[in-house]
Amino acid sequence: MHRIDKIFITNNENRIEAELFLSNTENLPFVVLICHPHPQFFGV
Amino acid sequence: MYNNVVSGVFNKLTQNEISCLRFNFRGVGNSSGNHTVGTGELIDTKTCIDFLLNEKNFEKIIICGYSYGAAIGCSAVNYSKKIIAYCAISFPWDFMGLKYKELSQSKKPKLFIQGNRDTLALYENFNKYFNFYLEPKNYKIIKGADHFYVGFEEEVAQEAYKFYKLITK
Repeated sequence: MHRIDKIFITNNENRIEAELFLSNTENLPFVVLICHPHPQFFGV
Repeated sequence: MYNNVVSGVFNKLTQNEISCLRFNFRGVGNSSGNHTVGTGELIDTKTCIDFLLNEKNFEKIIICGYSYGAAIGCSAVNYSKKIIAYCAISFPWDFMGLKYKELSQSKKPKLFIQGNRDTLALYENFNKYFNFYLEPKNYKIIKGADHFYVGFEEEVAQEAYKFYKLITK
């Protein structure tokens, strides 16, 4: 079972809804940032 | 937080023990705020990048975005030297204007995934836009897919995963 944390990331303007998965693989420096589409654009 | 394309990529990567953060722009889902037609959404992207670098101490970020998320997310490519590549799925150049094409220009590795039946991120204009970008770059045409990739999610996810493996080898 994967550990996916539902989190909010805040800046001065908003709280951004996000899901974070941290790999168990040690010392891996890489992460993929995935940007969702916007429903106001093409309904996706 | 669900979209068939993004969830396909997210699931593929996490099942292969690849760290990922996915997010909704302001005004979408449970994110607060209102849509700003790009300016604020670019700030949202940079906020997530800062979070990964400063709070989670990652050293290298690969950006992956779909549709509007490709236009905005990939436009943050030059925000940090620690962003090392991006994967754009159906970048809607024709709808986003020149600004996001210019902002997403980079000498970093780039992969563009495009359906050959996409009438929103227009397939007929794909080569024109692809040719604008500097090397290194590559593309993958998903035959039979329109903008929504129904039934093609696994193929898209596999291409994103292959790109990750190539970049991080």
